[in-house]
Amino acid sequence: MTKRIRSKISRGSGELAILSLLAGEPLYGFEIARQIGERTGGALTFTLASLYPLLYEMEKRGWVEGRWQANHAGRDRRYYRLTPSGRKQLAPLKAEWRAFFQALNSLAGVSHA
Amino acid sequence: MPDGNKPDPKNPDWTKLVRERMGRLDLPPGDQENIIRELAAHLQETYEAARSQQIKEEEAVELAMQEVKDWNVLAAKIQRAKSEEEIMNRRTKSLWLPGLLTFLGASASLMLIQFAGLQPRIEWIAHTGVTVYWHWLASLPFFGALGAYLSWRSRGSTWARLGAGLSPALVMLIVMCILLPWGLAIDGFASFRLVMFGVCLTNWVLFPALALTLGAIPFLREPNIPAAQAQG
Repeated sequence: MTKRIRSKISRGSGELAILSLLAGEPLYGFEIARQIGERTGGALTFTLASLYPLLYEMEKRGWVEGRWQANHAGRDRRYYRLTPSGRKQLAPLKAEWRAFFQALNSLAGVSHA
Repeated sequence: MPDGNKPDPKNPDWTKLVRERMGRLDLPPGDQENIIRELAAHLQETYEAARSQQIKEEEAVELAMQEVKDWNVLAAKIQRAKSEEEIMNRRTKSLWLPGLLTFLGASASLMLIQFAGLQPRIEWIAHTGVTVYWHWLASLPFFGALGAYLSWRSRGSTWARLGAGLSPALVMLIVMCILLPWGLAIDGFASFRLVMFGVCLTNWVLFPALALTLGAIPFLREPNIPAAQAQG
């Protein structure tokens, strides 16, 4: 079972997690939180309280764009999609985290594989 | 916040709950309604996901409620995330800063022209002799272009570009509008003051504004550059 990552570490990775998910397809808030939890085996979790301030912040920066859209059942959801500016942030963010893991690995023997 | 008013487990009204607990944010009403709607939808989905796993209604409500520990903290975070600070920064970058640089540049240009000994010409406007700095006026299209370019570079709107380019003339207009009532109050020569005001307005505001606009025009027509390029 994957150990849940403490909030201070996971908070910094939130932007990368969201950008990576949205690079695949537009998603709404609940689905973003669900997929992050599922794909990381519960190591990274987002509650409503941690997700939406981050999403709104990213929206303000122009990285993501939210739009109300009805699903097939007629339920309105606010779907977030990556903007071209957000897509450009993805590679540098990944490189930053890679460098961070490498630095940590060389210091404390923490492998990111 | 005390959990005194938990929603009805059978038919929870999440919109009402979010509206009550979030309180009033300092945001446009439409924005706040959208936030309430979105958070309520999230709670509803959490509730339904729990119910689909055969969790009892009361426990499903409890699970949804656990999504937010402190509504006041959440409201403050959302307020900060949605605040206009970024817009203010953008306005600073696209209007105030280019405008200031344009104004300082145009002022320095006038000082240099005077320092270099390039003489103004006396022109007669409305039977009044006015010293017109033609050399300075000739340099102003460059500064108009500079202000509009800097504003365009920072993704300023057409009005912001025009405002930044015209800043030297606008500053003079403000100064004169402040000085006129003073002059009228001190010596009371209303008609003479008004004529002088009109003449100075032409010389120090209208002529410079025309010259500045001439330089700014090419950048007023340019479409906005993409955000990423502007940030880079």
